[in-house]
Amino acid sequence: MGHVSLKTGESPHTVEELKELAFELRSKLLHLCGTYEGAVHIGGDLSAADIFTALYHYGLDVDPGDIANPARDRFVLSKGHAAVCMYIAMAMRGFFSYEEIVETYGQLDSAYGMHPCKVQLPGVECSTGSLGHGLPLAVGMALSARGRRESHRVFCLLGDGETGEGSVWEAAMAARSNELGNLVAFVDRNRQLMTSFAEERVVFEPYPDKWAAFGWNVVTIDGHDMEQLVNAIDALPASDSKRPTVVICETIKGKGVDFMERNLAWHAGSLGASDLERAMEALEASREKESV
Amino acid sequence: MPVTFTFGEMLSARSVIGSTLAELGDEYANLWVLTPDIGATLVEFRDKFPERFIDVGLAEQACVGISAGLAYDGNIPVVSGMLPFLSMRALEQVRSDICYPNLPVKIIGTHGGLVGNGGSTHYAVEDLALMCALTNMTVTSIGDPLMVGEIIRQSMTMQGPIYIRLAVGKKDKVLYEPGQHEVRIGKGIVAREGTDATIFAHGTVVAQALDAAEELAKDGHSVRVVDMFTLKPIDEDLISRCAAETGGRFVVVEDHLAYGGLASRVADVVADRNIHLAAFERLGIPQVYAGFGNDEELRNKHGYGLEATITATQRAIAAKL
Repeated sequence: MGHVSLKTGESPHTVEELKELAFELRSKLLHLCGTYEGAVHIGGDLSAADIFTALYHYGLDVDPGDIANPARDRFVLSKGHAAVCMYIAMAMRGFFSYEEIVETYGQLDSAYGMHPCKVQLPGVECSTGSLGHGLPLAVGMALSARGRRESHRVFCLLGDGETGEGSVWEAAMAARSNELGNLVAFVDRNRQLMTSFAEERVVFEPYPDKWAAFGWNVVTIDGHDMEQLVNAIDALPASDSKRPTVVICETIKGKGVDFMERNLAWHAGSLGASDLERAMEALEASREKESV
Repeated sequence: MPVTFTFGEMLSARSVIGSTLAELGDEYANLWVLTPDIGATLVEFRDKFPERFIDVGLAEQACVGISAGLAYDGNIPVVSGMLPFLSMRALEQVRSDICYPNLPVKIIGTHGGLVGNGGSTHYAVEDLALMCALTNMTVTSIGDPLMVGEIIRQSMTMQGPIYIRLAVGKKDKVLYEPGQHEVRIGKGIVAREGTDATIFAHGTVVAQALDAAEELAKDGHSVRVVDMFTLKPIDEDLISRCAAETGGRFVVVEDHLAYGGLASRVADVVADRNIHLAAFERLGIPQVYAGFGNDEELRNKHGYGLEATITATQRAIAAKL
């Protein structure tokens, strides 16, 4: 299947270009985390940065110039605390101004806050933040598409931690029961909760089997390997098929900044000027290491 | 098929939900009906529009979340079920998924109050307090079964969410002649005129309030009964008018916790508008888990039945400003 945007006529990015865009997204995230005085959920932003890049620059058929187009793909951010990563990914796709995000984030009357608000920022699809709420919303949107015989997809990004919420599995059952092959969940499986490593507190394994047992197509990939992300998107079943798909993305919380990676202290935080420099150096070093 | 009825007859409010929605389904191609396994009364809609009927099974949270997803996409979702579960188990979905983005989801259900003899798990007695606390939510409680249809109809063109509370809805008294009163969300109905005191009520308790007024009339008392079926936004002007026209004597009786429901809504207006009252009698469910019994027995046991309403109104009438 092709991922040329039907509405904008743009050619799809190559994997190499997508990797560059993911690096740019991480750089911009760190910059905001270094300049904004409050806490940023940087750990879960960095774990999802490649997924956001693959979606907003490859997988999602959306048009920044026509945000209400009924044929657009829908994107539901269930892990709402990664909002800033979504804002910046969307800004890089042409939806918002990155400068405006950096200048106003978290300020009084800004549209850009810790968790996305559809009322204040109509460019996003929905208001989220409370965990476990996104998948039911996505099921509703997928049902709506079915009802109107529309062929677009509904994508939903969840954190693995939030799949501890029962409402996720209620929605998973509803998606299978209503044969929503137009629904695609991406799980950012960074294996960390806020205060612990997930498996120490909650036995999620056998994780893919849980989704399979709910009747979903299950794909497990390295969520930092852009080629695997692109391939997973290319291999999605047709939107008029009958089973929803979950792409379980194995990720590292804090990915790209060595002192943040798998570090419980960096669920959320703020980088001062000196730490920002250190983080940017670490990000560069990480890129060089991966390109070898 | 339009519902036919006669004033004073008993009618199933539940059946009105199903038949009204089945009618509206033609008019509104974007009307969806969702339920967590309480679909028996929705059969007419289900059979006519199976592709727009979603029964998620026992999953209230997903049911409400899915309705929000549908609403984001320009649909009009109606969620129908048992209110203790929709108002509490799915409370956060109602609040954050529906009210926060102000989506036009209609929540309609049964088991508001000590009705149905299901025990305290199955009585919605805190629901109005919870729903009235939610920004953007319109809150109603309907006794007259025919009004149920009218309110559903009016709600179709509303921008934001609405909560529509019924009792059991199997056999309810038709209180009003067709066209007797203007029925409009946000406006109370003066169900009976009077000048000595006002009884405010909502839901099926309005019938009891009318019976109390009828009894008191035998002693020469003129008691007004207001069907305050919209708790939010409440008809403030009507409250002011009743204070002025019925000697500042208020009785509020309701099948809900005595604190947090209509009595509290009325008291807020009284305080905010600095209305001087001679009497304020508050009858409702005390802070107890109520136990079993039929509706009437439970109302009597917990102090808001017919006799208690009459007595409280007599006390109010005796009070002077």
